[in-house]
Amino acid sequence: MSEALVTFKGVVAGYGGGDVLKGVDFAVQPGGVTCIVGPNGSGKSTLLKTASGLVRPRLGEILFKGQNLVGMTPRDILKLGIVQVPQNHSLFREMTVEQNVELGAFLERDRRVVAERLARIREMFPIVADRAQDKAGSLSGGQQRLVEFARCLMLEPELVILDEPSMGLDPKTLKVMFGTIRMMRDAGRTILLVEQNARQALKMAERGVVLENGQVRLTGSGLEVLHNPEIGALYLGGSLEEARHPQS
Amino acid sequence: MNATALLSAAKDGILTGAVYALMATGLTLIFGVMDIINLAQGTFVVLAAYLSYALQVHWHIDLFVGLLITTPAMFIIGVVIERVFIARLKGPDRTGMSILVTYAVWLLIEGTLDLVFSSNDVQLQGWYVPKSFTVGAIHFGYIYVAGFILAALLLGALYFMLYRTRFGVSVRASLADQTSAALVGIDVKRVSTITFGLGAAVTAAGGMIYGATNAFNASSSYDLISRLLTIIVLGGMGSLGGALLAGILMVFVGDIVGVIWSPVWSTTAYFVVLVLVLLWRPQGLFGKTQARVA
Repeated sequence: MSEALVTFKGVVAGYGGGDVLKGVDFAVQPGGVTCIVGPNGSGKSTLLKTASGLVRPRLGEILFKGQNLVGMTPRDILKLGIVQVPQNHSLFREMTVEQNVELGAFLERDRRVVAERLARIREMFPIVADRAQDKAGSLSGGQQRLVEFARCLMLEPELVILDEPSMGLDPKTLKVMFGTIRMMRDAGRTILLVEQNARQALKMAERGVVLENGQVRLTGSGLEVLHNPEIGALYLGGSLEEARHPQS
Repeated sequence: MNATALLSAAKDGILTGAVYALMATGLTLIFGVMDIINLAQGTFVVLAAYLSYALQVHWHIDLFVGLLITTPAMFIIGVVIERVFIARLKGPDRTGMSILVTYAVWLLIEGTLDLVFSSNDVQLQGWYVPKSFTVGAIHFGYIYVAGFILAALLLGALYFMLYRTRFGVSVRASLADQTSAALVGIDVKRVSTITFGLGAAVTAAGGMIYGATNAFNASSSYDLISRLLTIIVLGGMGSLGGALLAGILMVFVGDIVGVIWSPVWSTTAYFVVLVLVLLWRPQGLFGKTQARVA
């Protein structure tokens, strides 16, 4: 196995009212999709926030290529090549689609580089070109999510953290969104994903992590986690049989 | 009521209202970016007026030239207050706590000013302060016109900063959503500190014009803060255009009622307008209905 891109070591974190993460240990390998699943309140989103600097762990280490992220600001973490698309829609509604996407490269001061990246993003995400001058607030939920994906790629990140990207999307948009995650993966990004649509996400993921009550309960390949009878019955909804024979 | 009185009220509304709008802009920016209700904004205006007064009395520096000193001085004072008092406020009770903390800052500044300058009223002087010119039947005081031009220039500069500069993008992003701003690499803490400094800096010009057009003492901040707060509530929290319109409306309504009825009812009339607008649009004239995502 290659050297881990991110390693969580005994991470303990919370919001002041007690610890949500109670000693999380696991590693994210470079390339591919790592999908974290678990019941509500297990600490999935909190874990992602510790990696992006929004929540500071009380104990433990988060190593990104050997460098400890604990104590760094979101800005410093972004500079290392880690971007997060949060659970709530995060576009600036009063700004245009293009302004929002350009803001993804806020840390890049070379205007020429930003223009080149924007041109590439326009090709990858037609909506960025088609709706460039529209206010971001006028887009549908699914369209906003795609623009958020486009924005997060403007820094050409190494690790993309996605927190429940399918939340509130209709089935058709969901398909497009999962297709876009695959596209990001195929473009060489490492994806760390928390997804409520766990079945579909695990099918796509190279690796799966089950989080329960603030601790890692199981790790394995996406399919191993998906086909684990206990996990399937407990966390993925549906019957054991269904968990063993997922529809393709 | 004749047309001259109406025009005169409109003139006062525009000239004086723009200066109030400038002072309120600092308040609305600070609230918009930081979720901080800065009760000390009124006392910043009075402090700035006293700084102009001190420069004039002790060093004979003209009021407008003095702005070259008082504006950066107020910026630095704002930055220090933000770093020492405001930046320490964290957590969900931050906004509520900010009211108490900035009230403490207010009392601290007011008490100091009272000690240094006594409680006697003073007014800023200049050869242009009592002078006026007439267009038709309407009198225009030099200082009021200069105040309007200054306010317009500074509001224009603020607008330029917000919509044409990289820092402005950071401010607007932080205004909309601090978490999302942080996630694209904006240093929200730094933006907050500079915004608080800018909010204090605009009171230098506002305080000078206020001090030249009104007799004031350290306690004048009570009247000022109530006006400034109602301006940003009427205009919509976080809206620069709203502050401008509400500032003009506040003076205009007060003057109209003063002319056709009695000056005693001027302030009441403005508050009636405020209540009516809030019944119609609880978020104010240009405020956003959507709550900010924390």
